[in-house]
Amino acid sequence: MPASLTIAQQLAAKQREISVAEFFERNRQILGFDNLQRALLTTVKEAADNVLDACEESGILPELTVEIAKEGEDRYRVSVSDNGPGILRKEIPNVFARLLYGSRFHSHRQARGQQGIGISAAVLYSNLTTNRPARITSKVEEEEVAHVLDLFLDTQKNQPRVVRDEVEIWDRPHGTRIELSLKARYVRARQSPLEYLRGTAIVNPHARIVLVEPDGTRLTFERASSEPPPPARETLPHPYGLELGELAHLLKASRRSTLTEFLTKDLQGVSLRAAKEALLGARLSGSAKPASVEGEPLEKLLTSLQSVTLIAPSADGLSPIGAMLIKRGLRNVLGELRPEFFAPPVSRPPRVRGGFPFMVEIGLVYGGGLPADQPMQILRFANRVPLLFQQGACAITNAIASMDWRRYGLDQKGGSGVPVGPALVLVHVASTKVPFTSEAKEAVAEDPELDREITLALQASARHLRTHLTRMSRRDFASEKFAIIQRILPRLAEKTSHLLGKPVPDLTPVITRIMDVVNVETSLVKEPGALRLPVEVTNYTPRPRVLELFLEIAPEMFGAAAFDPAPDGTDPALGRAWWTLPKLAPNGRTRLTVTLPKEADIEANDLDWFVAGVDEARLLGADPLPGDWEVRLPRTIVEAAEAAAADAAAGSAKEEGEVDYDAAEASEGVRDED
Amino acid sequence: MPPKRAKASATKTDEEPVTVRADALAPTLTLAKEIYAQLAGGEIPRMRLPLRTKQNLSFHPREGVWKLGKAMGTRSARKLDGALMLLRTFYLVDFINEMSADKKTSTLRELYYISEGWDDAKFHSEDESNLLIEDLEVLCDRLREDFRLHPEENGASVIGDLTLKERNRKGIVKKFNCRDDVGDGGYSLPFNVEKEKIEFVSTGAKFVVAIECGGMVDRLAENGFDEKYNAVLLHLKGQPARSTRRFLKRMNEELKLPVVVFTDGDPWSFRIFASVAYGAIKTAHLSPYLATPSAEFLGVTASDIENYDLPHDKLSEQDVRALEAELTDPRFGTAEWRSEIELMLKNGKKAEQQSLAKYGLNFVTDRYLPEKLGEMGAL
Repeated sequence: MPASLTIAQQLAAKQREISVAEFFERNRQILGFDNLQRALLTTVKEAADNVLDACEESGILPELTVEIAKEGEDRYRVSVSDNGPGILRKEIPNVFARLLYGSRFHSHRQARGQQGIGISAAVLYSNLTTNRPARITSKVEEEEVAHVLDLFLDTQKNQPRVVRDEVEIWDRPHGTRIELSLKARYVRARQSPLEYLRGTAIVNPHARIVLVEPDGTRLTFERASSEPPPPARETLPHPYGLELGELAHLLKASRRSTLTEFLTKDLQGVSLRAAKEALLGARLSGSAKPASVEGEPLEKLLTSLQSVTLIAPSADGLSPIGAMLIKRGLRNVLGELRPEFFAPPVSRPPRVRGGFPFMVEIGLVYGGGLPADQPMQILRFANRVPLLFQQGACAITNAIASMDWRRYGLDQKGGSGVPVGPALVLVHVASTKVPFTSEAKEAVAEDPELDREITLALQASARHLRTHLTRMSRRDFASEKFAIIQRILPRLAEKTSHLLGKPVPDLTPVITRIMDVVNVETSLVKEPGALRLPVEVTNYTPRPRVLELFLEIAPEMFGAAAFDPAPDGTDPALGRAWWTLPKLAPNGRTRLTVTLPKEADIEANDLDWFVAGVDEARLLGADPLPGDWEVRLPRTIVEAAEAAAADAAAGSAKEEGEVDYDAAEASEGVRDED
Repeated sequence: MPPKRAKASATKTDEEPVTVRADALAPTLTLAKEIYAQLAGGEIPRMRLPLRTKQNLSFHPREGVWKLGKAMGTRSARKLDGALMLLRTFYLVDFINEMSADKKTSTLRELYYISEGWDDAKFHSEDESNLLIEDLEVLCDRLREDFRLHPEENGASVIGDLTLKERNRKGIVKKFNCRDDVGDGGYSLPFNVEKEKIEFVSTGAKFVVAIECGGMVDRLAENGFDEKYNAVLLHLKGQPARSTRRFLKRMNEELKLPVVVFTDGDPWSFRIFASVAYGAIKTAHLSPYLATPSAEFLGVTASDIENYDLPHDKLSEQDVRALEAELTDPRFGTAEWRSEIELMLKNGKKAEQQSLAKYGLNFVTDRYLPEKLGEMGAL
């Protein structure tokens, strides 16, 4: 009699381990291989992220070369090589051909990849779509030769299968190359390897990145900084971010002999007092063995720990890009667009949400070749990885869209939505745990604290933009006047004199009447040994002026600066110098020069000039002396300024109330007649 | 004001291609003197000009036309636009004086190209140069012909029983009738239609029909309307050129011919009528010389579109704006015009002259025009 199987037996027969192939098939979208275009991008991305992480850990300046060659219809070969530390022979198969094998999953520091799926998933995808092995070439410094391995990922066992294992001479001290054939499609669109590498180059200015496209085009993003970012330090887990299972794991693995010791030394932010308080709350003894805590007491311990006052998580695990590198990176990659303005990048101080530190950084670029009639370009980054998908669902985009940019000089319909204008904004969210909307890690999830930080950083950047735009409009206004006095008036005088047969009159009085400003103009002359910054102060007002000129530069730069003529006073601690200028007649001009060492990373408009002795409305290229400088001005200057103000009030009444003939003509719709 | 067209002066030589009065350019030098004095005196150069805007039109009952009012605007070198226009003014004055020395003339379009050599002061469009020439006319109380500037031949045509004498380019006087001695295209008007160029000899016509579109002129001519009703047909060619308006005014004044204006039924055609009858805004300084105050609007009116059930289009947004602008235009300030404009706005319809062809080719001459002219008492 055939033993009739119990239901349980029947079910058990059906149960089997899900193969990794099935796992892959079911999670294609999360893993980033759901279409041909994206598969290529994901492959490049996973390989590139590994390179940058490995180089960062070992303090190497990365050289990353990505070559994409067409092998057939919808089939490409991708080769990614680097100058990283290399991978030991015995590790190679597991690193590249085994899912969920990685070293970072449990670490508490910021890294690009974490789960150990990425590159092996790419290998698996390659195996599945082309039935060809991945080829890994890697050399570590200690060995003479490189190992060359051809790998398949065994989809039944999730184990690497090595089909070739040789050594080879490789003419570099260390490095790794991975070559894969895969079904894919190459485009140069927004979500392409090119865009990904461009974004990567912006936030990793210490990397040199080369892309060779299928048609042979070679794009190089040169290194813009020779300093690698300081590696993020590994930090201890903080109770605020702990989950039960993780705490259990930590307790089991701890080598501390007492619970008190475990709490204060294996965790972060727990003082002795806080530990006592927490133990009291959980009714646990401080001298208990860490491994002995399980079950209900474990749960109580976590609850109690999270309710006592703890020191905030340390930001040591974060690796921000830093203001200077943001500026360099943007300038390096966007240089050919010649943007007119790079706002000083904003790096917010680190904050904590849910036990994990995070920080927000912003770079803003305006003008030049950026399209003026398009929405602002948004470059999103999480832990230095460009986010190319799901822009609309991202907290970064939402923070941008919910700000009123009109106040800062950009067009925005109704004061919300992504503003329109020749602008580009870079937003970087760095955290030991970035809240993503999904496992695909394509967009940052909404979070009130994160949102607040992004908004504050955006506002700070936008204020710089507004200042710049105001300056530009003042400059436009001034350049109009300069055009009048330099190009038009002299010829008007010449023409009328010629018609009448009279000598050309002196135009100084008219010129100063039209301009009626004191102009401060700084230029930059790069000389072999130094940066020379000549400054010209011109009195384009109808009366003689006695002026006091003030300079403020970064105090650390002040010591290396030379001035000609010597200032009448200095305050090196604040980086300030000042001069009493010789009395300037109408149309009169004086010059002085600031010289800085050639290493100074500065532009002409990075120097802040202030002037006393003329009202703000009559000052161009400099700002009035701020009230908080508490400088005692010479009497002559105070008196001159007062007299000038009175003079201005008397003179400005003329011509008021007159209709501008040309403006009136232009506004009338009379063009359709005769 | 208004400037009197220069009479053939006694010093005129045979080579002079146009008639220019001897003191034509003196006022341009006065302008130069004013600006020079300002520059030398440390003042920001400026000129004051009457505003050529519809708000600055005023009606002169004696002449029956709209002229420029008293509101003045300032063109000052304080602003870039103003400074450029001042500079252009004297490039233009210089050019005019040079032409005078060389006894040359120039078309408006040539002037526009001449300005290519003026660097910053060059004109960006012919509109710009034409406006400046008009400014100079106003400032100097002269006509552009006095400045040796003239438009290209415009070719507006005349058909009807009208006998003229024209002095041609070779100085020979030809006499001809605008119905019997010309081709199907009619007599083509030169840009100069003054007495020294064209003299009226006689006419058998009883009135003039000024017509917007060439197709309608052809229709009336082919149907023999001019002969049957003793009419002179004048083609306006859209917004009529100065010479067309001047010729119309001369026919009206010297031959005592009543004038009716026959256009499309839309806001732009109302403006054509206004510039014929009342004077145009841009050339309001010349209204007494160009406008025909007794001209009457025949149609197509807003009520014609309804009464004759004409094929029509909906008013566009631009049309509506134009009509609304006309409601604040003093030239359309009469009760008749207001109700006409408001009716068109209310119905939201416009129609072309040629939509009358809905009822056949003869409808316009057999029925529409006789009816309309009858209503107006012109027949």
